[in-house]
Amino acid sequence: MKKKVVLLILILSLGAFMSLKVKIDKISRKKIPGSSIIYIPSGKYLKFATFGYSSLLADLIYLWSIQYYSDYSVVDRFKYLDHIFSVIAELDHRYLDPYQIGALIALYEARDLDLALKILDRGLEKNPDQWIFPLEAGHYAQMAKKDYKLAQKYYKKAMEIKGAPPITKRLYANASFKLTDYKTAFETWQEIYQTTEEERIKKIASNHLFQVKAAIDIKTIFEAIEKFREIYDRNPVDLSQLVKAGLLDSLPKDLDGQDYHYDSKTGEVKTQTIPWKR
Amino acid sequence: MKIRAIAFNTFKEAIRDRILYLLLFFAAACIIFSRLLALLTVGDRVKIIMDVGLASLSLFGAMMAILMGTGLVYKEIDKKTIYTLLSKPIHRYQFLLGKYFGLILTLFIMLFFMSFIFLTLVFLHTFRIEWELLIAIFYIFVEVCLLTAVAMLFSCFSTPILSSIFSLSFYLIGHLSWGLENSINKMKPGIVKTLTQILYAFIPDLENFNFKTEVVHHLPIPSEIFLFSVLYGIFYSLFLLFLAILVFRKRDFI
Amino acid sequence: MAAAVKIEDLHKSFKVGFIPKTKKILRGISMTIEEGEIFGYLGPNGAGKTTTLKCILGLIFPEKGNIEIFGYPYLSLRAKERVGYLPENPYFYDYLTASEFLHFYSQLSLIKKKEKEEKIHRFLRLVGLEESVNLQLRKFSRGMLQRIGLAQALIHDPSLVFLDEPLGSLDPLGRKEIRDIIVRLKEEGKTVFLCSHILQDIEMICDRVAIIVNGEIINQGQLQDLISEKIHFTEIILSGVESKELEGVGESVSALGGKILLKVIEEEKIETVLRIVQSRNGRIHSLIPRTETLEDLFVGMVKQG
Repeated sequence: MKKKVVLLILILSLGAFMSLKVKIDKISRKKIPGSSIIYIPSGKYLKFATFGYSSLLADLIYLWSIQYYSDYSVVDRFKYLDHIFSVIAELDHRYLDPYQIGALIALYEARDLDLALKILDRGLEKNPDQWIFPLEAGHYAQMAKKDYKLAQKYYKKAMEIKGAPPITKRLYANASFKLTDYKTAFETWQEIYQTTEEERIKKIASNHLFQVKAAIDIKTIFEAIEKFREIYDRNPVDLSQLVKAGLLDSLPKDLDGQDYHYDSKTGEVKTQTIPWKR
Repeated sequence: MKIRAIAFNTFKEAIRDRILYLLLFFAAACIIFSRLLALLTVGDRVKIIMDVGLASLSLFGAMMAILMGTGLVYKEIDKKTIYTLLSKPIHRYQFLLGKYFGLILTLFIMLFFMSFIFLTLVFLHTFRIEWELLIAIFYIFVEVCLLTAVAMLFSCFSTPILSSIFSLSFYLIGHLSWGLENSINKMKPGIVKTLTQILYAFIPDLENFNFKTEVVHHLPIPSEIFLFSVLYGIFYSLFLLFLAILVFRKRDFI
Repeated sequence: MAAAVKIEDLHKSFKVGFIPKTKKILRGISMTIEEGEIFGYLGPNGAGKTTTLKCILGLIFPEKGNIEIFGYPYLSLRAKERVGYLPENPYFYDYLTASEFLHFYSQLSLIKKKEKEEKIHRFLRLVGLEESVNLQLRKFSRGMLQRIGLAQALIHDPSLVFLDEPLGSLDPLGRKEIRDIIVRLKEEGKTVFLCSHILQDIEMICDRVAIIVNGEIINQGQLQDLISEKIHFTEIILSGVESKELEGVGESVSALGGKILLKVIEEEKIETVLRIVQSRNGRIHSLIPRTETLEDLFVGMVKQG
């Protein structure tokens, strides 16, 4: 065959397949690339099936999942979010990033707080030394659903792990306060105040203690005012009347030793100073 | 026709090669093993069988193509059977095309047997003939034809071991090339982007022949892609074959 | 008579070694092989015999030179149709039977279908393999492979047959059979180009020879011309005479058990030897005038080169 003929066919076929490729790329196929991942059986078999390359496979699946979840054209991509990240966890339970990112995707993209918490729980279960998981979980619970009870529970867990940052404790205290668990809040803030070496933190702790004590005291005062109103059918003129009436042992003072401010018309009790402006 | 004579001769030689039957055995084993795997999964059992079955066909078909293809021309040169052949009144390109079609025929038969086992197993589960599976299998065959062309091209100038490595790389690149697309989309327009786009059009895209997912999930396949994919396979194979012809033309057989 | 093969100024080099160095194999070969003759091509190992042959057959591409077969360009299909080739140490497809093998090759040479079967059997009989019609080639011995190779080279009735060491792996009887076949080919009007190391056979059947040494043809021509050019010498085996007395008369080739093998070149000296033996009361065991064999010629030429 003449060389020219061969070269001609060569160039023509090259042009043909390259232009076909460009054309085919434009056709959108209903692709769920890697959807077969759904059929990877979960369970202990998985690790055996991968012949010791399980952590590599975990990496690959994780990398794929990031691409997958960045592609907004796949509308129902969250259907197997749980499964995918559980598979990654099974293949390499010490691979920490996927837990965080999985939870992130679950919360922010799929708007599923329960799934996010589930993933983080799994992370903590497999890596009990990682305080980041309960810390994030608490953070998510607080932020997404203002579920302070759940948040408090998570912060406590995080606090107990060695190496947890000091802020964990503060978050715990704060969550307790929001839950009106004043006792715990006060105790925790006290601990923080006593153990910290930073002036800034001491000030913060002190302010919080002020606030918690104020909350406790104001609650006590309110209860007394309520009882007073039941008996006397009116608000007391001033707080000393409550003591005189025997409804309070003594008039509580705020942390700085100041009296609480009372408005007899509205029945409101307030601190004289705003905690943060002390 | 002389190409036909060489093709049938190649077929006769290839079909008696034990490697083929070894791979056939493993493929059958995998397909049957999928039956066991199906028991482990929660949910649709047939899908696992289909997935594993199609994957086996694809993988073992590729292996057969590469293992047999890389020895195709090399063996003739090494064993010097090619001397008498080329001294006959035939063109060198007729020799190459004959070897190619002979191996394609062999692989077709092998794929046929593997498909038969696979489809029978599926039928025993669904009691229904799944015609869609034939689409996936047909395109597996097209991919196998392309891989054979690559293997043969390398076989013309390289030892079987190196040729196998090159062919395997071709296979992997072919299945991972879509990753380049993402990178290209993120690039700023310019000469680098254009060059990369040209490169992207050139490197093989074997995913064009992969309809396994669609078939198993019963997803719709856009009709244009059927024709274009086949043409893509044909033209790419043609390109590789003629490249082999070009390489082979003025080769000295010492 | 027309030229079957005409070769003009053939050059070929190869790149050899890890750091490619050009090694020149053929340095301007020119030969003509006449139609209907048996042509012998001789040379030491590495001289370029097989390279020349492969050039003619289109397996190797020369960098310079011209080759014509029966007047056609040597690579054309027309030329190849008239050529048959048996390579050195032939090896064929393992899994084919003898019959399938010849079937395949006859398809490549476009032998008509109805003639095929008959021809296959005829040629198998010719090379002495009719018993092995259905035997797989992987079970063939070296000699059998040689024979089936010859069958394959002849099956399409070529006018020109190239044989590279066809008598190599055969026993003396086999060699005789093949020699007879070659001679018969000549009688049928075919041209035979023969490469061989076995010079006795060449001497027996070739009309013309060419000797190639280091990529150049140092001698070619009619066999009888080449050999008869050489001076005869006489070999005398005698006993009873001391070697030193024979000095100057002839070359004492060997002396064993009292017998001396003497090589006398000049004819006059023979009489001198006879007189010396007579005078010493020795014995002449044999006296053989020897023409120079092809081997002597060959060795001499190679040593010169």
